[in-house]
Amino acid sequence: MISCTEFIWVYNELFKFLEARGGEAKVIAFWQGISENFLGNLREYVEADGLKGMYRYWSHTLGEEGGRHVMTLYDDSFIIDMHECPSAKLIHESGRVAPYPKYCEHCRWLYPPLLRELGFDADMDIIDCEKGRCRLTVRAHRESAQHAAGE
Amino acid sequence: MSSNPASSCANVHKDFHGALSYGLDFIEKSYGFDGLCSFLSVMAPAVYQPLIEDLRVRGLVALAEHWQKVFALEAGDYELQADEDVLTLTVRRCPAIDHMQEHGYAIAEHFCEHTRVVNEAVCRAAGYRAEVVYDQAAGSCVQRFWKDAS
Repeated sequence: MISCTEFIWVYNELFKFLEARGGEAKVIAFWQGISENFLGNLREYVEADGLKGMYRYWSHTLGEEGGRHVMTLYDDSFIIDMHECPSAKLIHESGRVAPYPKYCEHCRWLYPPLLRELGFDADMDIIDCEKGRCRLTVRAHRESAQHAAGE
Repeated sequence: MSSNPASSCANVHKDFHGALSYGLDFIEKSYGFDGLCSFLSVMAPAVYQPLIEDLRVRGLVALAEHWQKVFALEAGDYELQADEDVLTLTVRRCPAIDHMQEHGYAIAEHFCEHTRVVNEAVCRAAGYRAEVVYDQAAGSCVQRFWKDAS
């Protein structure tokens, strides 16, 4: 059994394998497949509780994964400021595998498309992949935000 | 607002088992079973290089310690037995299968084959051999490891 604590290295190697066999388009197809088929949990949280559901979802997953981050929940937006991504840190600092150059792109393909499909504006800004720094910004549309605020 | 300023936990995020299963299924559907085995055979010597070195230097005790650490972190139900020159790992309840079944994740048709291919690749690189008999639906298996005499 590959331990879940070893998965990040396997993930990195999987990206490299797919790119070698099918080019970058194959890697992106894989990320899109993960977003569409494997994030049902996030979808359920967001459909049930919107921005608060995102906060709950990432409180759980980032709590398990570790790292250093700040999550901010406003009435109309939700932001994750990742200061030290545990996944990117492992890839770039362990020296165990050669990092897939576009490793951090997977988050850009996994999360914003799903959140947009659910009616939010979402941007993933990768600030520095080697340092594990990025920001996910999600904004509710004006009507949704007003509804959530009881206006 | 909440923050997680520092973490020294073991980062046990079991949903990664589901992501791995999806990845293995994606490879097999794209490149067939041979493609899946090819990926695992190439990936294993890189990802498990420290374990391979440890196994080469210290022998089966290194592998035993590896499994003890993994199954302690993942809270698996298992037993390790060292008989003369053979290490036997009996997994009564696989943490990966258990987690995926509990959370309703799709389990790749040949998910447990990754254990066979990865074990064989790691052992081959260190001068050992491995075999596994598994029941994927039950989440159980018996893995055996021994030094390659040839």
